Amino acid sequence: MLSLIVFIPLLAALGLLFVDKDNRAMARAVALGASSLSFLISIGVLVWFKEAEVGMQFTETLVWVKLLNIRYQVGVDGISVLLLVLTTFLSVIAIFFSLDRKDKLRNFLALMLALEAGTLGVFVALDTILFYVFWELMLIPTYFLIGIWGEGRRVYATTKFVLYTLVGSLLMLVAIIAITVAHYNVTHELTFDIQTLVHTRIDPASQLWMFIFFFLAFAIKVPVFPLHSWLPHTYVSCPIPALVLLTGAMSKTGAYGFIRFCLPLFPEAVESLAVAIGCAAAGGIVYGAWIAVAQKDLKALVAYSSISHLGFIVLGIFAHNGQGIEGSVLQMINHGIIASALFIIVGILEKRMGTRNLNDFRGLGNAMPVLYGMFMLITLAALGLPGLNGFVGEFLILMGVWTSAMLSDMSTIFVLMGGLAIVFASIYMLYMFQGAMQEKNEKLPDHLTDINRGEAGLLLPACVLIVFIGLYPKPFIDRVSPSVDRLLTLEKTVNLDAGHDAGHH
Amino acid sequence: MFSYAWLILLLPLSGFIGISGWGNRMPHRRAGLIACAMVGGAFVFTLYALSQMMFLDAAERAGHVLTLYTWVTSETFTLNLSILIDPLSVFMFLIVTGVGFLIHVYSLSYMEGDPEFPRFFAYLNLFIFSMLVLVAAADFFFLIVGWALVGLASYLLIGFWRDKTSAVLAARKAFVMNVIGDVGMVIAAFVIFSNFGTLNYLDVFAVAPEQMRTNDDAALLITLLLLVGAFAKSAQLPLHTWLPDAMEGPTPVSALIHAATMVTAGVYLVARCHVLYELAPYTMYFIAGVGVVTAVFAGSMGMVQYDIKRVIAYSTMSQLGYMFLAVGIGVFSTGMFHLMTHAFFKALLFMSAGSVIHALNGEQDLRRMGGLRRSMPLTHLTFLIGALALAGFPLTSGFYSKEAIILSSYHGEMGNFFFWAIAVLTAGMTAFYIFRVYFYTFNGTLRSPEAHPHEGPLALTAPLVALAGLALLGGGLGHWVDKFLAPVLGAAPAHPEDELLETVAVVAGLIGIALAGVIYMTGRDRLEFAKQALAPIYDLLYNKYYVDEIYDFLIVRPTRAIGEFLEERAEREGVDFAVDEVGTQIHGASRGISFWQSGKVRTYAINMVAGLVVILMFVVFL
Repeated sequence: MLSLIVFIPLLAALGLLFVDKDNRAMARAVALGASSLSFLISIGVLVWFKEAEVGMQFTETLVWVKLLNIRYQVGVDGISVLLLVLTTFLSVIAIFFSLDRKDKLRNFLALMLALEAGTLGVFVALDTILFYVFWELMLIPTYFLIGIWGEGRRVYATTKFVLYTLVGSLLMLVAIIAITVAHYNVTHELTFDIQTLVHTRIDPASQLWMFIFFFLAFAIKVPVFPLHSWLPHTYVSCPIPALVLLTGAMSKTGAYGFIRFCLPLFPEAVESLAVAIGCAAAGGIVYGAWIAVAQKDLKALVAYSSISHLGFIVLGIFAHNGQGIEGSVLQMINHGIIASALFIIVGILEKRMGTRNLNDFRGLGNAMPVLYGMFMLITLAALGLPGLNGFVGEFLILMGVWTSAMLSDMSTIFVLMGGLAIVFASIYMLYMFQGAMQEKNEKLPDHLTDINRGEAGLLLPACVLIVFIGLYPKPFIDRVSPSVDRLLTLEKTVNLDAGHDAGHH
Repeated sequence: MFSYAWLILLLPLSGFIGISGWGNRMPHRRAGLIACAMVGGAFVFTLYALSQMMFLDAAERAGHVLTLYTWVTSETFTLNLSILIDPLSVFMFLIVTGVGFLIHVYSLSYMEGDPEFPRFFAYLNLFIFSMLVLVAAADFFFLIVGWALVGLASYLLIGFWRDKTSAVLAARKAFVMNVIGDVGMVIAAFVIFSNFGTLNYLDVFAVAPEQMRTNDDAALLITLLLLVGAFAKSAQLPLHTWLPDAMEGPTPVSALIHAATMVTAGVYLVARCHVLYELAPYTMYFIAGVGVVTAVFAGSMGMVQYDIKRVIAYSTMSQLGYMFLAVGIGVFSTGMFHLMTHAFFKALLFMSAGSVIHALNGEQDLRRMGGLRRSMPLTHLTFLIGALALAGFPLTSGFYSKEAIILSSYHGEMGNFFFWAIAVLTAGMTAFYIFRVYFYTFNGTLRSPEAHPHEGPLALTAPLVALAGLALLGGGLGHWVDKFLAPVLGAAPAHPEDELLETVAVVAGLIGIALAGVIYMTGRDRLEFAKQALAPIYDLLYNKYYVDEIYDFLIVRPTRAIGEFLEERAEREGVDFAVDEVGTQIHGASRGISFWQSGKVRTYAINMVAGLVVILMFVVFL
């Protein structure tokens, strides 16, 4: 089933290349059909997923490169299954939102589907090489989506994005090979299976550099402050449908990588660097929020607010306890829903007003009552209003940080920084919402209409989820919880003496 | 046994959902009536809960926890969505739904003709619901949820007239101030959780006295962090600046938010957590100090304002100071008693003022009022009753509750002369500013010639009469409140008797009234000359001690400036530049290297020779 979810979009992307360039109806049908089908199957996976069962489910294994024992191996646990559904869900929304694009629609849709497939692959891959392949697969469509359909300094932005991420992922490739070699040296068994590799103890010195290599790859992707400088350029240049996937799903691959690779593979390195990473994450939380307060461009405002919110996710992961990681996974879902909805609203406003500058907006609420209501709900979720989903994640994360043994020296300061960012969030989000929708505007364009059914349909699922997760997060946490438990109680059974004789080398 | 109590919360919630969803498709009046019915229904259920509770033994009254469902479970903690029904929450239900219902009825007429009439009632219902969540929550988590929802509802109501820039700004200010408080409470919840391993009230309160010593660091930290939330919501120093601005909202909103319900949440919180506060006497002194300073601070500002609603708003802040004084010196049930009488007479004052504003077509400036005693006799009477109660005139409700606080502030266990003296001074100020408003509004002659004031319809006046009755007679409930709340708050300390101090306080109030009468009896300012003589003090008071300006200078502007600085310098010229520079340097380096790959055979030959020479030298000499 997982293979179907990943390969239906990928095959559809290839198939679209054979559709006639001007046959827009056909291109739409293929793209929409493929992404919806993939979404439906992923819902099936979610439904049949056994929440109490620990370990990977829906696994599939095929030998890929026999010589090196590289396998095509996929599966999901409680953490990845939620991210899988989030990705397929956002893909449907993003493709819906791109249907009325004028230029080169077919190619655009093909690249969107390829991007979806790459992201999905990252979440299901259980073989490190396979993971790496999907990881790079995400990059190629993004490069063209921004480079061809972007705006502003799009070539600069996309080149910067690709080079930046590439540096990180090449480092990761080195570390991936190094782990397998380390495992081979002890067991003489060649494997890239992540589930086997996590049980190998690596001596602390090697752990440190391998961890840093992995960390850089993921931290650039998330991004973690101060490795974020590609993000504002990329987000501002990126066409909005692609941005929905970029911010909603792709930024989560980095955070997912932390949980899947960094925490289980390198526990000692995590322990020694957690406080430093916490500083970076908490710094990013405040830094992003503070810059967002000074933004006029709606896209840039949401972009910087994303840096702030993603910082929360990273901070929660490196709190390294149940609440922190569960809160982070939930917050990944929340941020995916909220940020993508915000970008869609920015897109809707831009389509109608021809600008994104906050100074040019005012008093749209009177002409757009439906958007007013939805925008308000999403704004409130984004600023973390208790009772809505954003708060649940932030509360669990900060609670995890507060009680974290690993961050103990700094946890008070981190929580205070998080609190400061929450206050800032209420300032910049209200600034955005009120600036655009409230007050009186004498120069409102005459043709300004409220959002139509299609646009409301794009925002409605987000609104429903915002309220539902806020009121009843239990089903989500229940799925994540066993996997997080297993992660935190993981035992190193292979090469137990690695830590002891490290000093002799 | 109290499972129907969910309906108390559910009715206003369904009113909110129903009206915000379908309110625009039904006649305006029907939307308003539905909203009233929902709150009225909640009030009826509250009365039923009250009667049931009265029949229980005192020991069985406290601690009924009703759980709806499990909100989240994790390895280390479980949170249930549950409410706590005990005398304290029922007491708060009574005030919220009772006064809330009267305000709903009043709004039917006050907001008539507003194009957004249904939206207003939807927000009112949301507000009542949020407030009920706040007082019904059985743990700190849902307390925070209710706390924030109340902040949201007040934001929506203050900014109800969203075309008005000043209303939009005031709403944002209120929201952000309240978020500061929320953050304090969230951190308090973390401290509570890491100390007790649970967030449930009953569990925490049960183990706290055993687990903590008096004035433990943790106890001080928890109580102080909770206070951040309490002070933000109850507009105590230094988080008070949102409250006067919040008068931008429609008048019933002011009555609802600034009298009966929202601003009293902080006092409720301290009373609810009295077990923790009793473990932290230092914090209690701090509360009493802040309360008493806020009381005199706000009272002094109220004496010189010209906006009728702003004067009453400052008065609210000042009266809240009294309530914090009461809970700070440990007489919790007296504080709750003043909370109740204040809800009656302050809602009455706001709504009478609203009646005046309504009759004068939105005029709020005292200098353009006057002589309304003849054209609006009923409003005149209700306002007078409210003013007397606020001033603590003997036998009105305010007299009993305020006297009790003032006496305890001296005679109570934690009382002292300082608290008492300021409390008495404030009592004098209170009487002065409210009668200044009274004489300005109702005496003399009308100073806006184009207006034709007249009494409002029945829906407008009936709630006034009901509240006037409560404001007059509510004082008799003092002992009942003490006894009813005893299962939660502990047996109330005996009320001190001291005729001398009592007389001093009453006389202070009478002097205030008399002074206001002498100066403003004719409905005209006779103080022009004094105003000039004391210009610096007058300006200081009139400009609210320049606190807004100080905050703007010290906090708002630097925040914005740092944000811009970060973007310009740190981001563009720091982080981003550094990354680009790496790219540029590599580009430059590869260009430098590419010089060698020129494609010219001669260069290659020279390189080869040079390389050979170097290698040879290595081989030969090493």
